Amino acid sequence: MRSLYSILIFMLAIVMLQACANDFGAALNEVVKSSTSWETGTDSKEASSTNTAKSESKPAFNLLSPSRQEEIQIGRQITGNLLGAAPLVNDEELQNYVNKVGRWVANQGERADLPWHFGVIESEDINAFAAPGGYVVITKGLYRKMENEAQLAGVLSHEIAHVIRSHHLKILQKTQLLNFGSDLLGKQLGRDNQVIQKLIGSGAEVCARSLDKSAEFEADRMGVVLTTRAGYEPFGLPEVLQIIGQTGRDESRVALLFKTHPLPDDRLVKLDDAIGNRLDSIKDGKTLGERFYRLRN
Amino acid sequence: MKIYKVILIAALLLPGVSLAGEMGSALKADIIREEPYSDAKKTGSFVRGDKLEILGKKGGWLKIKTAKDSGWVRLLSVKRGISKGGNEAAGILALASGRAGTGQVVATTGIRGLNEEELKSAEYNAAEVKKLESYTQTSEQGRQFAQSGGLESVIFPYLPESQNKGEK
Repeated sequence: MRSLYSILIFMLAIVMLQACANDFGAALNEVVKSSTSWETGTDSKEASSTNTAKSESKPAFNLLSPSRQEEIQIGRQITGNLLGAAPLVNDEELQNYVNKVGRWVANQGERADLPWHFGVIESEDINAFAAPGGYVVITKGLYRKMENEAQLAGVLSHEIAHVIRSHHLKILQKTQLLNFGSDLLGKQLGRDNQVIQKLIGSGAEVCARSLDKSAEFEADRMGVVLTTRAGYEPFGLPEVLQIIGQTGRDESRVALLFKTHPLPDDRLVKLDDAIGNRLDSIKDGKTLGERFYRLRN
Repeated sequence: MKIYKVILIAALLLPGVSLAGEMGSALKADIIREEPYSDAKKTGSFVRGDKLEILGKKGGWLKIKTAKDSGWVRLLSVKRGISKGGNEAAGILALASGRAGTGQVVATTGIRGLNEEELKSAEYNAAEVKKLESYTQTSEQGRQFAQSGGLESVIFPYLPESQNKGEK
């Protein structure tokens, strides 16, 4: 008798699983198609034009091509949760300084239209985070490792590149479709942030998630270029990677960074491959060590 | 008086001095040159893993000394410092098993960390978001800040991905 029940339950489970799989099929196909084409970078213009058309005719939220405002709402929610884990360092001068450097570097990229926000948070971990819509946060532990403004610009550039290339949005698109199917597509982002919170998972866990290694290497290459374009000495980011590389790999303050990113040595080697002698012509880049804001404690 | 002069000279040489005597190792095989330029005369070479001493820095170049040669190499060919923690493989294993990410060290030392559990359970802090957004600079403010530091924007295209894949 008992075994008959077990068999029935088992069969029922299989039927349900198949039903779920069918529901997700179409949505998954769509996102796979979309993210593959995004990665080639060929359709960014196309995507933004369809995006405008959609937001005019239909106010529903489309996770696959959120409007600028929706992107900012998602980023604000993630950043707000991150700040719930570690608040801003209580030093107005520091925060203003980081925003000035960050804003100037962001001006050099394709998303200069965004209202970029930068912050240093109270944590001795060595890490940095980016969220959609132009939110960039670095830890005090990482700031401590820097010696000049070009290095700060380099670190911020890497995060700015993640925002420009929508790396985190793509992660959300992939994982949330796996979790919820098309449930969230077409939901309107209302004043309450429940839909966004459901989208980004619990708390700021998205900040602990790894991107593709290729996305990190891309952000490194773009970071070096944005730093260069801003008039800084191009090697700010690689220098910080070299400094971080000296931290023991088993130290807890780099545990999350090293878990979610390729190791610094691999990143340096990849950068070297991409740079070659391309930066030899840049002679007047500035490091601005004297203007670099020193932490009070 | 003499001491002041020494301090002054040391201060002037600071960027070089801060690196002097620091140890490092080669990330890849490369050529050592007489000057920090790619067409400068070759003075030697090293292979991946060679130990070296870092004596100074200029732009994207480091002045180094190996057991047999000295001169300038590209900054990206060098790993600074000697990795701490002894057994590197043990560190990687700890990361792979997630052991290093448990945050136990954080809990016992009292230093604030940012591990996965803390991030996952974090709750939205509206006041801090408001504060963060209050520091926002406009594009024009960024430009003025750059100008005051003598920064000038440079036209430079994005770098393509590595041309020599698989070659390490």
